[in-house]
Amino acid sequence: MNILLCSVNTFKRLYEISSVEVGQHLYWQLGGFQVHAQVLITSWVVIAILLVSAILVVRNPQTIPTFGQNFFEYVLEFIRDVSKTQIGEEYGPWVPFVGTMFLFIFVSNWSGALLPWKIIQLPHGELAAPTNDINTTVALALLTSVAYFYAGLSKKGLAYFGKYIQPTPILLPINILEDFTKPLSLSFRLFGNILADELVVVVLVSLVPLVVPIPVMFLGLFTSGIQALIFATLAAAYIGESMEGHH
Amino acid sequence: MANMIMASSRSLIRTSTTSPSPAPSQKLPISNHITLPRVQLPLLKNLSLQIPIPNTNQTLKSLSVLAATSLALAPPSLAAEIEKAALFDFNLTLPIIMVEFLLLMVALDKVYFTPLGKFMDERDAAIREKLSGVKDTSEEVKQLEEQAVAVMKAARAEISAALNQMKKETQAEVEQKIAEGRKKVEVELQEALASLEQQKEETIKSLDSQITALSQEIVKKVLPTV
Repeated sequence: MNILLCSVNTFKRLYEISSVEVGQHLYWQLGGFQVHAQVLITSWVVIAILLVSAILVVRNPQTIPTFGQNFFEYVLEFIRDVSKTQIGEEYGPWVPFVGTMFLFIFVSNWSGALLPWKIIQLPHGELAAPTNDINTTVALALLTSVAYFYAGLSKKGLAYFGKYIQPTPILLPINILEDFTKPLSLSFRLFGNILADELVVVVLVSLVPLVVPIPVMFLGLFTSGIQALIFATLAAAYIGESMEGHH
Repeated sequence: MANMIMASSRSLIRTSTTSPSPAPSQKLPISNHITLPRVQLPLLKNLSLQIPIPNTNQTLKSLSVLAATSLALAPPSLAAEIEKAALFDFNLTLPIIMVEFLLLMVALDKVYFTPLGKFMDERDAAIREKLSGVKDTSEEVKQLEEQAVAVMKAARAEISAALNQMKKETQAEVEQKIAEGRKKVEVELQEALASLEQQKEETIKSLDSQITALSQEIVKKVLPTV
């Protein structure tokens, strides 16, 4: 009983020190269902940032671009390049999907790291990057799954399912398993990276708030940017893979 | 065991929330965990267990003491359980995010990807046209130059042809005139020759007569007495 109390006390103290609100969500009731309100709020902010900046900059395109227009043109070229490399010649219709994936994840991750969300006190839980929630990442991964299935089916029709027995029918269970591991790995890769980075930064800030967290914050910015690129590139790669012809 | 504590403490916590909180009377340091009852409440709203609550005061008191102790004992594991539960907490947020993403995709496509993409492609095409246009005009210039040279050659050829023709004409005229002159001269020559011959014959004739006269004289002289 004593030992139990002691261990309980240490756990409590550690909990107090870190004051991390991991897994604490602000719940709203919609109909008979719950939602994580903090995820929705931050996702609205991200969507607002994306749409407003796009509208403001792309209003009057000049032949010699302004600074903002040049930046957005660079981003569009980059996204087109990623799509073209992964998908091939018919990459045109998929640019919006891959681009929105990249932009949404990138701006979510960087907003979670850069914007001062702590200013807004929620009654429960806290605001952070919307991608630190398993719901967001699984939603994006499922959308990617749907996208590559749709790509394959719309291009090849029912012959798409022939790819399960390529190159040999022995690999059929592995190919079926791939359809589950692809979204799983996509979602957990993003979720783990973003959540872990947030946790590390919060713990470091609460322990040594002055200089030590800064390199970790920069690392966080770098890796979260890379994760956005990886997610978008893999999504494009899966789409390209389903659409490609015979080997 | 943690689950049992959780289950029991959930039912007990409902009682503790109905009665004034026994926390201050406890000796264990749970005064810092003011947040904990809040933490547990939202989840409890979902659970809404229908466990009958004993109504007598005594049982209430003992139950509240039990509640406090279990609160003190259980919180970290409870907290850990709650955190774990809430980390992989799938709910309506998932489809809402999917819908938000699809709407964002359509909106960005209409506002950003399509207009800017079209603008960039048109600009590329215009630049490429201009570049290839520049190359074409240099070819045109070459063609024009060749044409000019050809025209010059033709002109020169014309000129020389005209010159030659003129030369020939004048030569023909000259020759004609020469021929005419020659003819005249020849005619005159012949006339002259004819007249000369005539004169010659006349002189010969005259000479003949003179010769005969002379010869008669000679004979006369030679043969004086004949």
